[in-house]
Amino acid sequence: MSAPTEFELDIICITLVVLFYALYGFRQHWNFPLRRGPDYFFGVQVPPGFYQGSGTRWLRSYHILVIALFGIVAMALAAIVFTGRWDVLPLWFGGTAILITTAMVIFVAWTRHKLAANPPVLPSVAAPLESRRLGDYISWPVEALVAGIVAASWLLLLFRGDAREDWRNPVTTTWVVLGLFPGKILLIRNSFPLPPERTEEHYRLSEASRRWSLRYMDAFRWVVLAPLAFYALKHSWAPALEYGWLSWAFVAIFTGLCLWLIYVLIDQRRLTAMSRGLRPAGSWATPFRPARLLLSGGLTWFGIWFSGLILLLIFFRG
Amino acid sequence: MFLTVDARDKHPIYQQIADGVKALIARGELREGMTLPSVRQVAGDLGVNLNTIAVAYRQLQDEGFVTVRHGAGAVISSRRPRAVTETELYKPLRTALTQLILAGFTDREILAATREQLALLHQKGDSR
Repeated sequence: MSAPTEFELDIICITLVVLFYALYGFRQHWNFPLRRGPDYFFGVQVPPGFYQGSGTRWLRSYHILVIALFGIVAMALAAIVFTGRWDVLPLWFGGTAILITTAMVIFVAWTRHKLAANPPVLPSVAAPLESRRLGDYISWPVEALVAGIVAASWLLLLFRGDAREDWRNPVTTTWVVLGLFPGKILLIRNSFPLPPERTEEHYRLSEASRRWSLRYMDAFRWVVLAPLAFYALKHSWAPALEYGWLSWAFVAIFTGLCLWLIYVLIDQRRLTAMSRGLRPAGSWATPFRPARLLLSGGLTWFGIWFSGLILLLIFFRG
Repeated sequence: MFLTVDARDKHPIYQQIADGVKALIARGELREGMTLPSVRQVAGDLGVNLNTIAVAYRQLQDEGFVTVRHGAGAVISSRRPRAVTETELYKPLRTALTQLILAGFTDREILAATREQLALLHQKGDSR
């Protein structure tokens, strides 16, 4: 079997990602409002019998939104496939993420505004007496390995590159990989007060969520890092182009990493099971702090990281 | 192991935190050598001001319950408060007893309540 071309490799990677989003993303989004059980709608505590009354209307409008969003994304992809404009694929990825994330954040904020105009204020609040140190959540040898792979890839491209490289690829992937690190630190340092009732369960859920989010970021980072390393190898070591097995090995590694990412996402079911009946973080206020939709600093970090990625994809010409 | 702060409580927040830590030490849940989370972490978790936690930690340090070491944070140092005489220790007990008497409790009831509270305190410590 001949080695896949760079274009074919892109198609294989894209197919894997699209398949994943089509199968898992849609299902996940569909069930999202009910993940806390029948007492909640999108993290907002609702009165008993909500889903026999006005809740059906809320749920229906949410499902229409999900169908519309995924419909737009699917139509845009179909247009790219039929017109053969593969060059706009990065924009499709960015556009999909922006569209779905923005629509979801707006819908959740709107839901909270309409259904919980006065989020419950709990008079007392609890905090764990266990220290959260970076080293308890981050594996420094793995971080060093990631930094080493990025540095080695750049050294190869800068000093042994074959001058046929498109710099957009390494620049973008490096931005994504390195930009995740501050996000991880933010996540570790992030905190939400714990309610006075079922404190232990809320704490276990908050810690499990933190660790799951870090695992997800790690898996995502490896999915992005692998193409960078392979790209550097291919453009700095001439024989790499002749060895078909190397390309297939990359496809196998990349597929493995994608499957790992999917496994981590599916493992989120554990959190969903744990969170049933518990108050979602930030959905209630304390006498000392108002209810919060997002972790503090999270929006700023994500805004910088994600807008940087989009700007690189659109304007950077390597 | 959790610290709870209640806005309805008439004691200031820093006092509630210091008392919470002392109660955990008394129950044996916080043992000598254990490290308390950083001021920033506790303040973030409770959603209160950094200074509030710093004042609570300083009070614990002044009373000899914790030692603040640079780089290591606040470490539980001892179960016996430093430089506190028995008279001083009995002072809050006397206040509580006075309040119970004024509330109409008999000596027998006060003794029973004290035994019950003491048992509860030990029970919580044992159920770790």
